[in-house]
Amino acid sequence: MEHLIREAHASDLDAIMAIENECFATDAWSLEVMLSELEAPHTYYLVAEVEDKVVGYAGLSQLVGATQADIQTIAVRPNQRGSGLGRALMQELTKEATRRGAKEVFLEVRADNTIAQKLYKMFGFKQIGLRKKYYQPDGVDAFVMKTSLLRDEVSEPLVLGIETSCDETGIGIVRGNTLLANVISSSMDQHARFGGVVPEVAARAHLEALTPALEQALREAKVTLDEIDAIAVTNGPGLAGALMVGVGAAKALAVSTGKPIYAVNHLVGHIAADILDQGKLAVPTIALLVSGGHTSLLLVRDIINDVHLLGETIDDAAGEAFDKVARVLGLSYPGGPEIDRAALGGNPAAIRFPRGLTLAKDMAEHRYDFSFSGLKTAVARHVELAESKGETLLISDVAASFREAVVDVLIRKAIAACVDNNIPRLLLGGGVIANARLREVAIEACQENDIELRIPPLSLCTDNGAMIAALGSQLVQAGFAPSSLDFSADSTLLVTQIQS
Amino acid sequence: MSEHLVSVKQEYVLAIDTSAGTTVAVLSLGEVLAELNYLEPMTHSERIGSAIEEVLAKAKVSPSNISQVVVGRGPGPYTGLRVGLAAAKFFAFGASAELLGICSLDAIAYSYYQQNPNQNVPVLVTTDARRQEVFWALYNGIDKGVPIRVEGPSVNKPAYLKELLTGQEHTVTDLPITASSLGQVAHFQSLTDLGASRDSSPIYLREPDATPSKAKRVSG
Repeated sequence: MEHLIREAHASDLDAIMAIENECFATDAWSLEVMLSELEAPHTYYLVAEVEDKVVGYAGLSQLVGATQADIQTIAVRPNQRGSGLGRALMQELTKEATRRGAKEVFLEVRADNTIAQKLYKMFGFKQIGLRKKYYQPDGVDAFVMKTSLLRDEVSEPLVLGIETSCDETGIGIVRGNTLLANVISSSMDQHARFGGVVPEVAARAHLEALTPALEQALREAKVTLDEIDAIAVTNGPGLAGALMVGVGAAKALAVSTGKPIYAVNHLVGHIAADILDQGKLAVPTIALLVSGGHTSLLLVRDIINDVHLLGETIDDAAGEAFDKVARVLGLSYPGGPEIDRAALGGNPAAIRFPRGLTLAKDMAEHRYDFSFSGLKTAVARHVELAESKGETLLISDVAASFREAVVDVLIRKAIAACVDNNIPRLLLGGGVIANARLREVAIEACQENDIELRIPPLSLCTDNGAMIAALGSQLVQAGFAPSSLDFSADSTLLVTQIQS
Repeated sequence: MSEHLVSVKQEYVLAIDTSAGTTVAVLSLGEVLAELNYLEPMTHSERIGSAIEEVLAKAKVSPSNISQVVVGRGPGPYTGLRVGLAAAKFFAFGASAELLGICSLDAIAYSYYQQNPNQNVPVLVTTDARRQEVFWALYNGIDKGVPIRVEGPSVNKPAYLKELLTGQEHTVTDLPITASSLGQVAHFQSLTDLGASRDSSPIYLREPDATPSKAKRVSG
């Protein structure tokens, strides 16, 4: 259910009081007290709305210039609980406290309200005192809880990132937006004889690579595990069995070290790679992610909460097409670099292979979607036809023409997305970015259209843990609460789900 | 002496097995302090974090006081099995604990002999290996708390096992694996001359299911 959090007004008083009386039957605040809270200059009250109805509220109190703030109250209607509204309200209040210069936030909570206590603990609150029989007439004790906002540390968190969504075991460490270590252990060689990634082979390799990669990353970053502020892990999209290795390991590491854990989206991680290269992400931007598993066009307005999927492949990923065509041409795996090599000296215009989903009727319905399965078949037909006629085939022409068809569609649609949305920025990511011709065409097309092109270094374009750490770091810096320990590995996680 | 205060780790052990469901336990010197068992076979990666957190809370032991992690090496369905192995590796790393590995079937045999103390008889342990096969191992009694494995672990069709064991007196157990038994086997192993095994590699027993592919013809 979509919700909206906004600042509360006196006109919300009736709606707030209805919830106050529903949630705190025996010790509700009076209408007068609530109104003075809403109108006081040193308070900050928010309401949460679902379908234009107020279903929750929360308030903060902080005197001007004070470094201590108090959470005054928080309430969500019983039938709306469990959907993250309390968490969202708390998040906004702590962000406001940070903006107002608070270093510590205090609150009181009923000793018998374990659900609220659990929420507060997620935000780092710890019990520091007890007020006996504070809640009357029930005679229930209050726990006094406190959290530190520690602005300096929060602004430059040291984050460990774990990535196991495909065939690369990646462990990275970043401080704030700065890359400290990026260790990648690939099982690519083990997949070569199968002509593609075998999920079971990849998962087995992850399990073996994890500990050595973590040790190496800590060494390279010159930090100890104790110093890490948070752990980020890819929980999707990707190969389920591979994702679960990283998820299981990350959760156990979080429990054994007491560090908060952030479950993050692999695709959004690819966007975060640019932060490590540039120190920040220029937004809004269009992002084209091309790898063996994905071909996606995204519109990014804010990496922590506003990433929109414009289109994606409806069949094979671009990298997969390279692998399959390499096999047709008798080349080895991975296909991308092999086809690049074979295309040397070839004529990219020799054979006019089809450009998937670019006809007028397709552009109406699939403007930003891709299809490479027909292209692969066309190449195979071309090769088979030549063989049956006994003609000699110029592999370099076939490779160059095939590659041109892929690159043409990718860049044409990415440029269209920039122009249509009036966003003069394009960010590339994913392993296929290693393809020299793709980069060449992207540079030319962006120059022609006055679009700023961003291509992170290749070690940050292929799957890696540093980009996952970078995304985790953005979430920590924004004051987002950690993920609950119960998140799952989701092989089809939507790109809009930035944190699970 | 006060300036040489050394913090001595308590002898607490965390045991983890995901060869079937998700089972975790905390032990101290072979005594079980707490255990949690989730039988569902598909929720390992969701459960594992909270399960460890909860079993430690139940045992009132902090993660930093765990000095050994014992993990079930399988055999078992691979995807789930790996979740426990990955968790054990990183928990041990994070807590600076020693990592020990035990064949999961040994823990089931241990449970059997515990529940049937007067039957030091051969027992066949089998678990589902899918594809109409079973993972199995044969034990011939228990010695100072350590089940004596005489055959296996292996993976075969039930018919093969039946033929193999024809004429051999034995009993069969289908007890579930528990992390408490796993931890106890490790405890008793550590008291033997050989000590407990530091091999925490997975027992897969099958090669990955994949064949090198060739390009298929697309035109008739």
